Amino acid sequence: MAIAKGAGILRPRFRLSEWLSRHMKIVFVLPSLIFVLAMMVFPLGYTLWLSLNEWNGSSIAAPKAVGLDNFTTLFTNDTRFGDSVVRTFGFSAVAVTIEVIFGLLIALLLQGKFWGQNLIKTLLLLPMVATPVAMGMAWLLIFEPNIGLLNSLLPDLGLKPQPWLGSPQQALWCLAAVDIWQWTPMMALIIMAGLAILPEEPFEAARVDGANPLQRFFYLTLPLLMPTLIVATLLRSIDALKTFDIIYTMTKGGPQYASETINTYSYTQAFEYFALGKASSILLIFFAIVLGVSLFFIQIRKRWGVQA
Amino acid sequence: MRRNFENSFRRLGLIVVLVLLAALAVACGDTQVASNTAPAASTLPTVASSTGNTTLASGGNATTSSSSGTGVTTVAGASGTGAATSADLTAGVSKNFAGKEIRLITANHPWATGMAKLIPQFEQASGMKVKAESYFEDQLSQKLQIGLTSGSSGADVFMYRPLQEGRLFVKNGWLNDLSGQAQKATDWNWADFQDSARNTVTVDNKAYGVPLVTEREIVYYRKDLFQQAGLQPPASMDDLLAAAKKLTDPSKQQFGIVMRGQRSPAVTQFSSFLYSYGGNWEKDGKSAISSPEALSAYKTYGDLLRNYGPQGTLNMSWPQAVAIFQQGKAAMWIDADSLYTNVLDPSKSTIVDKVGYAQFPAGPGGSKPYNVTSWGIGMNQASANKDADWEFIRWATSAPVVMALQQGGLPGARSSVWNSPDGLKGFPVEYARVAQSSAKVGVGADRPAVINVGQARDIVGAPLEVSIQGGDVSAAVTEADKKFSSFLVSDK
Amino acid sequence: MSKVLEPPTGSLRPAAPLELRARSNVLNRSKILGYVLRYAGIILVLMFFVLPFLWMVLSSFKNQIDITTGKNIFKFTPTTQNYENVFNQYNYLLYTWNSLLVAVLATFLSLLLGLPAAYAIARFKVGWLGVVLLTARIVPGITFLIPWFIIFSRLNLVGTYPALILSHMLIGLPFIAWIMISFFEGLPVDLEEAAQIDGATQFGAFLRIALPLSVPGIITASIMAFIFSWNNFMFSLLLADDQTRTLPVAIFNFLSYSSVDWGGLMAAAVVITLPVLLISLVVQRYIVAGLTSGATKG
Repeated sequence: MAIAKGAGILRPRFRLSEWLSRHMKIVFVLPSLIFVLAMMVFPLGYTLWLSLNEWNGSSIAAPKAVGLDNFTTLFTNDTRFGDSVVRTFGFSAVAVTIEVIFGLLIALLLQGKFWGQNLIKTLLLLPMVATPVAMGMAWLLIFEPNIGLLNSLLPDLGLKPQPWLGSPQQALWCLAAVDIWQWTPMMALIIMAGLAILPEEPFEAARVDGANPLQRFFYLTLPLLMPTLIVATLLRSIDALKTFDIIYTMTKGGPQYASETINTYSYTQAFEYFALGKASSILLIFFAIVLGVSLFFIQIRKRWGVQA
Repeated sequence: MRRNFENSFRRLGLIVVLVLLAALAVACGDTQVASNTAPAASTLPTVASSTGNTTLASGGNATTSSSSGTGVTTVAGASGTGAATSADLTAGVSKNFAGKEIRLITANHPWATGMAKLIPQFEQASGMKVKAESYFEDQLSQKLQIGLTSGSSGADVFMYRPLQEGRLFVKNGWLNDLSGQAQKATDWNWADFQDSARNTVTVDNKAYGVPLVTEREIVYYRKDLFQQAGLQPPASMDDLLAAAKKLTDPSKQQFGIVMRGQRSPAVTQFSSFLYSYGGNWEKDGKSAISSPEALSAYKTYGDLLRNYGPQGTLNMSWPQAVAIFQQGKAAMWIDADSLYTNVLDPSKSTIVDKVGYAQFPAGPGGSKPYNVTSWGIGMNQASANKDADWEFIRWATSAPVVMALQQGGLPGARSSVWNSPDGLKGFPVEYARVAQSSAKVGVGADRPAVINVGQARDIVGAPLEVSIQGGDVSAAVTEADKKFSSFLVSDK
Repeated sequence: MSKVLEPPTGSLRPAAPLELRARSNVLNRSKILGYVLRYAGIILVLMFFVLPFLWMVLSSFKNQIDITTGKNIFKFTPTTQNYENVFNQYNYLLYTWNSLLVAVLATFLSLLLGLPAAYAIARFKVGWLGVVLLTARIVPGITFLIPWFIIFSRLNLVGTYPALILSHMLIGLPFIAWIMISFFEGLPVDLEEAAQIDGATQFGAFLRIALPLSVPGIITASIMAFIFSWNNFMFSLLLADDQTRTLPVAIFNFLSYSSVDWGGLMAAAVVITLPVLLISLVVQRYIVAGLTSGATKG
């Protein structure tokens, strides 16, 4: 039925359809290719070129070729860069690890059918679809040391108010907490989807063999779930490394650079110091790091696939 | 079952596609509308008013001042903007450039808000069109730089911060030299602008902009609390520390003082401490921030905030700091005088009628607040119609316009306006006195005078953070000194 | 894949999870205890994830003084002043329109490019294009900003809708490709081949067989692309101008030349998040599918 109806609409253009079919591969690929070339490949190439130059956007002085100087400076004479790399990894590792663990726990908690499940799944969606900038603002008001929710509740629990984002020791972890708040639900939902498609037979067999729930979890659920977990961790790690919105809106990398990640550092270099060459070289290294992390996970995924 | 499901989805998809196509058509038309027919006069007030509710220079002031019984006397001149007749304001504006369009880029600043209301008069008198856009301070800087970098002549005339971006813009050839026009326009009177203000926009003996807004660092204090405690407004650094100590009572959420603690924003407010302790950023082109004077200044700033300030000052720029003061939680707030309208806004402030103003306290080097031109107006080197641009700048900075804006509560840069009683009508009496006395002793810079100011601020601000946290200030200063020295060498 | 996208059945009958599945129907004490614990855990989890929203909504109805004097978390006189300010003073109607326009068109155009591309990748094995498209998901967004600015200013497009839409497409396109490649791969080729034997062209088979069958996937992909575009901050921050500013940038501007207006800020935050929250309430299952796609498949 669908075919007949559609053909009726398109009959006058039958020739066009034939032409399209003959060149379908080109026609389907070309628009995206042009778009990607203009919007992605050219910018990447330009960034590569800029990373070998020194330029602050002057219309009098053209970019000055400096070879690999920008990179050497970063690695030998820029503690802010090294620190930001460490911080980026620390932030991502902590956030993603906790997200996976919490996500797994929540998925187990919500697994199976129960009353109100749809509602709860929907509510869980909210943190990850809500605009990060807006939620950053809401968290800013929660963490605000003088009028915020947290500090007005802490004394009631007998605890001392904390400076939160105003403290170099705490700022990065407050941001990680926001990231965890934002993305744990996604982990939980992915893991739930993964649990839903697990084969039933091994579990039946294990139950017959008298394995207790804990054993079943560690010897069956977890290994079977591993491919899902690895892909989920991969996706989340890429985004965690690139976290920008909440950091930029909540602390701008402060205090004392304590929450400055590679992403915000490159932004500062590019749009506050206007060291366009240096910023470009940071971005290239950053790109390489994210790419490396992705490949690492893909490799693990492959190896796991072979073993399992 | 499955087929029904698919069919309904197919239909839904079709509808969605149709709606999208319609939206596309609308959008294409809409772009036209936005770029061609949106007249500056009708779009500007709404946009610029994003700061309106906090500033007495804005349209909101009529309701603001009438709803607060106590605020009225101090802001009586606020309606002055409207009082000046258009003939006064646009005298001397020529019709030579009728039909030209000027793209004006401003910050989200009271100057822009005030200007937005005057621009229609200019458009009428000159026959020109002024298309204005406003941006949040940091974004403005980024926007200007990226726009100027990519060589687009998008902006003709723009607001800029001479001390922040001035040297960089000049070095990169983005600002047009206005010296010639400034000298020629005798009735406009370049000499009427305060010396310090003119110096700020001058690089290598060429005027690259016209000063718009001036500001000085002053002490805002709570008259009621000081009176209860039997204290006088602080005249010396020792007074300041003593008063802050006496008025701090954490159990009552009462703090002696609040100031900016965020690294980069705090640097400008720290500058007055530095000068008053007898220090400076540089000496003979070399870093001077490790001098004993500078060290004491760093220590005092940190001590004040650590011992007598609220929680979390490290993450505070002035909007957060003034919020604390507005809530009545701090007895003193030290910041720029141009921000005073914030504490007088009854919709946000609980202390409208309790605010006193005092000159920056004297340190070992005397009372040396900064007195700077925080905003200037400049012309894009790549602008196509520079004469028309100048016609606008000349009008926007002419004595009557500056008078009108200053009567609306915005401290300008013209001596004739400051010297006339009319020019002070917009300010609280005590405020005007303090602003004037501060201007006499003030220092013409509130940050290192370098090309890459952003980077310099991050370097010299680092010891402030350490000091606020009670860390090893000397070590931090030594470290910052080393970085600042090598920065000064590379910053050429 | 299709299993993931199958809408969950709406049965409300509680079926215990594998671990808890009881062998008999007798409700014994430990089972009740299990239920209680489980629901307690669920409520605790929900509290953590929903609380910030509640706090945000609550604060948006307070005036500045109620917010800043701290203690009155629940005791205050609600005011709608913040919302009035957001729309009247801060021009949010324009920004909402901008956000909507940019997100809708970016999504639509991404579909226009992405669907054929995904199809080509799935059917003609143009694998390299897939790799290129997915690279866009990996590259840090800032990398593009300076070069884009140069391109757009040459074309005189800075600050216009087309510039914003094109930049947002770079987020939407890879995502749509990401979802649709696996979706098209999951479709049986036989149907399209049968249609071609019946006289339809290859393009016709795509248009009339593959696309209609993929509507659930397309919906999922569009919703996700829309949300990502709506939420995008970094690209709009530098590419939008006064008249084309989108909501996330507009709310960031709240921390601007005045003391922080917390009530207004929270009202603005509610205004921005409300549309996406409503969308997710309505089409929850598609979003779940979109977010989890790719992760559960081999």
